[in-house]
Order: sequence, then C-alpha cells, then structure tokens
Amino acid sequence: MIELENITKKFPGADSFSVDRISFRVNEGNICVFLGPSGCGKTTILRMINRLEEPSSGNIFVNGKNVLEVDPSGLRQSMGYVIQQIGLLPHRTIEQNVGLVPELLGWEADKTRKRVRELLEVMGLKPDEVVRKYPHQLSGGQMQRVGVARAMAADPPIMLMDEPFGAVDPIVRIRLQDEFLSLQQKFQKTICFVTHDINEAIKMGDYLIILNQGRLIQMGSPIDVLTSPADEFVLSLIGEDRGVKILDLTRCETLMEPMRETPDDLMGSGCFVQSIQPVKLALEVMMKKDSDHVAVCREEKVIGLLSWKNIKKHINRVSGEDE
Amino acid sequence: MSFDPGLFMKAMSHQAPPYILEHLNLVLIPMGIAILIALPTGIVITRPGYRHLSPRIMAVFNAGQTIPPLAVIAIFFPFLGLGYGPAILALTIYALMPIARNTITGISTVPEDIKEAARGMGMTSWQVLRRVELPLSVPAIMSGIKTSAVLTVSTAVLAALVGGKGMGAIIFAGINFFQPELILAGTIYIGAMAVFIERFIVLMEWLLSPAHLKG
Ligand SMILES: Nc1ncnc2c1ncn2[C@@H]1O[C@H](COP(=O)(O)OP(=O)(O)OP(=O)(O)O)[C@@H](O)[C@H]1O
Ligand SMILES: [Mg+2]
Repeated sequence: MIELENITKKFPGADSFSVDRISFRVNEGNICVFLGPSGCGKTTILRMINRLEEPSSGNIFVNGKNVLEVDPSGLRQSMGYVIQQIGLLPHRTIEQNVGLVPELLGWEADKTRKRVRELLEVMGLKPDEVVRKYPHQLSGGQMQRVGVARAMAADPPIMLMDEPFGAVDPIVRIRLQDEFLSLQQKFQKTICFVTHDINEAIKMGDYLIILNQGRLIQMGSPIDVLTSPADEFVLSLIGEDRGVKILDLTRCETLMEPMRETPDDLMGSGCFVQSIQPVKLALEVMMKKDSDHVAVCREEKVIGLLSWKNIKKHINRVSGEDE
Repeated sequence: MSFDPGLFMKAMSHQAPPYILEHLNLVLIPMGIAILIALPTGIVITRPGYRHLSPRIMAVFNAGQTIPPLAVIAIFFPFLGLGYGPAILALTIYALMPIARNTITGISTVPEDIKEAARGMGMTSWQVLRRVELPLSVPAIMSGIKTSAVLTVSTAVLAALVGGKGMGAIIFAGINFFQPELILAGTIYIGAMAVFIERFIVLMEWLLSPAHLKG
C-alpha cells in the first residue's frame, strides 16, 4: 500500500509548486494511473515515492512505513521502477541490465538467467537474440521493453511505471497492455502507472488520478471520471468521444431491460451478447446484424434485451445532453 | 655547424642510452603521483556535496596548464632549491592538470538518466560510482592520462636545466658544445619514449574501456 499525505514539492529556485498538497492512497493489488499534461508533476510524484526526491512537506508511507525512515537502496530494490527516459546501462548487456536488481540482491546466477529470459519473453523479445546485445543495438521500443523487464526482474510487490509503453508501436503496445493485465490478475501488484494516453489510462487503471499544474483535479475509477468529469479540464483530457469510451466500460447487463424471453430470431440469427461484455460490442453486433436490439445472455440463458434506444438514452444522460 | 655521422652513431649507442632510465623515472614518478592525486580529487569533486566547486577548481587546473614548467620550478626554487626533487615536483604539478580535468569531465558527462536509473534500481552511491560512473568515464580519464604522459615526456627535458638529470642532459650538452649530433640523438629517444608510452596507454585504455565501446 502506498499512501501520500498532503505532499508538496517545490524545487530549489522554482517559483511554483511542482506538486501541490496531494493526498491519495493506492491499495494493495491496485493499478493507479496518473494522467495529466506535461509538467504536471507525475514523474516528481513517482520519484518521491521511491525517495529519489524528498517532498518539501507531507508524508509518504509505503506499507505503513514512512519512506524517509527506511534505507533508500532497500526501498528502491523493493519497488520496480520504469523510468521515463528508459536509462539502460550502456556498458552492460541486455541480460546484465535486466538482471541488475537480482544481482544487487545477490541471487544465484542461474536463477537470474532464467528469470531474465522469462521476462524478455513476456515483453515480446526473443531472449536468444537480445541477451548478449548492448542497449545501443536495440530500437527505442525494444529498449523500453527491456526497461520494463528490468523493473519486474526481482518480482517487486510495488511497481512505479513512468510511461512504460510510450515508445512502442500501437499494436505491440496493446499486446503488452494485455499481457501486463493478465500478469496483474495473477500477481496482484501495487502499481503506480503514468501515461499520456487516455485510452491506456482507462484500460489499465483501477483508479485514475488526474493532475494539472501539480494539483490533484480528480480521482476515481475510469467510469466515474468518464461519467462525471470534475471540470472542463478533465473533460478536454478525456476527449470528444467520451460516450464511446463509456460504452466500452459499461457492461451490457447495466443497460438491458430484464426479460426471460426474447423474440426467437435474435438468438437464432446470432444477434446476442454476454451480460458482462461491453456495450460497445453490443453496438457492433447490432450493426453487423442490422438490428436495433440484441439479446443479453448469461452463459446460454437469455436474461434481457438491450436496445439502441436504451443505449442512446444512457449516452445522453452521462454526457449531460438533453434527449 | 657540421654533422658528424660517427659522432651521431656514438651518441645513439653509448651517450644517450644511460639517460633513458633516468628520463623514464622523471616521467613515471610524476605520472604515478599525479594519478594518485588527480583521480581521487576528480571523483570527490564530482560528488553531489562538492559539485558546486568543480567549475572553480577546473578553472584553476586550466590556468595551471598555461604556466610554463620552468616557471613552476622557478616558483618553488626558493623553498626547494635545485635538483631532482624540485624537478619531480614541478612535473607532477604539471601532469596533474589534464588528468584531473578529464576525470571531472568524464564523470560529470555520464548522462543523468543513466545515473538516475542506477539509483532507482537501488544501487548505493558507492555502487553507482564503481559500476556506472567510473566504467563510463574510462575513455575520458585515459585520454587525460595520455595527454599528460606525452606532455611530461617532453617537459622532463627541462629537468636537466635544474640539475634534475634525464635525457635533457644530453640535449643541453649538445646545445652548449655545438654538437647537433647529441641534440638529434636525444630528441630521437624522447620521441621514441613518447610513442612507446602513448601506445602503452592506448592498450590500457582498450583493456579498461566499457564493453559496449569495444565493438
Ligand atoms: N530536478 C528538477 N529541478 C527543478 N524543477 C524540476 C525538476 N524536476 C521537475 N521539475 C519541474 O517540476 C514540474 C513537474 O515535472 P515532472 O517531471 O514531474 O512532470 P511530468 O508530469 O512528469 O511531465 P511529463 O509528462 O512531461 O513527463 C515541471 O514544471 C518541471 O519543470
Ligand atoms: Mg514525466
């Protein structure tokens, strides 16, 4: 668990606060995503959590311990850190780079080697091709993935990830996100994740924390933020297609009208969705089947009917427009 | 002035060689002392607590480099007199500058994000120095040592003027007695020593260089 209490940070010589009275908590096993324009203080917050920077005032607790009272190296070894500028050590091979923290922790060479290969694989890199290379022999996106693997190497319970997928192409990026989420399902780490990409934020975050000029503007689950943005700034950050994004996060069962039976032809013609699938998918099915409603099932059983009218009503309601 | 090949051959084979060892001492001893002083100084100056001092200290080193070595000897003459000791001292001071300067430049040009990553992974500042900053500074440091060594080989000639011996003795004898054969022989040995030392340092540099630069 990570807890910030009224944290401020003013760099020497700066005339404004880089981080201004921020408090929040990231519970164990959650991914907390930080979102905000360049210079709003995201990196500074992460760096204060692992004590690369000390706050001007306020307290930070990690698993109940004040970070200023623990040994900084030990603290950092217990947190994976993906730095924004990647920062691989140029004089070390990829294998040595990924195995850095295990090496500092004194793992056996064999165990480290196995772990390094496993992680490179997870990151979609071919271990045999890259382990002996040096960082300058890789592309930017490949280096970034090595940076993520390095942060995960010693299996730290906490991860600080500063735009971990910023340099990889959109296709690989989506694959890495999925891979990461499925690992997260299994290992339940406590993660602070910085991104500039609202879609990534919605996809990865259990919580979003939206920042502007060092201040916390809004905090909440992705659906909370999408349905009730705190102000104009948050609204502009989310983008024009808020409705579509909401439909991606809303399950069909929330908008359907409960019903035991639906007209037969819907099931027969394949015009149905599962109750936990996103409404966006229901829309797709409707378009494909040229229908204005779909059956909603739980397993094999029909439990409701979702119609275009209901969807439209929902969009209008959450985006505050009149019907 | 005439040139006597016989005399030249004799200078090459008999008169100059005894001075080789003396001259090498005038190079290696000041170099050794200079490295022992300049490296740690350069490292300390680049530590966060002292970093603010480094521009001023660099300025002193750069200025020091413009003082002729003979002037250094002259400055110390009233305290130390003439002879081997003062010559070594002057040469040491002279050799210090390029090494210290390059050590400071080398360490302080290690990119911030690399040091940041090393710290962020949990390296102590000592580990960052040993495993990141120093290995990455090797090329700069070695090139400082190289500059310094080549400079010292030629500057050490002046040691003979203050009774410090070395290959300078035969060169100045040649000047005093109008024997270009001696001057030429001495100069050739000086050149050979410079080349030899430079090659040796290049080899060391290659051995110590960070792996990714070896190709
Ligand atoms: N070491 C520093 N010294 C002085 N000011 C700093 C320092 N680091 C950051 N700042 C300032 O603090 C503010 C927040 O910076 P920070 O790096 O946290 O932004 P960010 O949200 O991570 O931005 P980006 O999305 O561009 O990475 C900026 O105004 C920046 O200029
Ligand atoms: Mg940043």
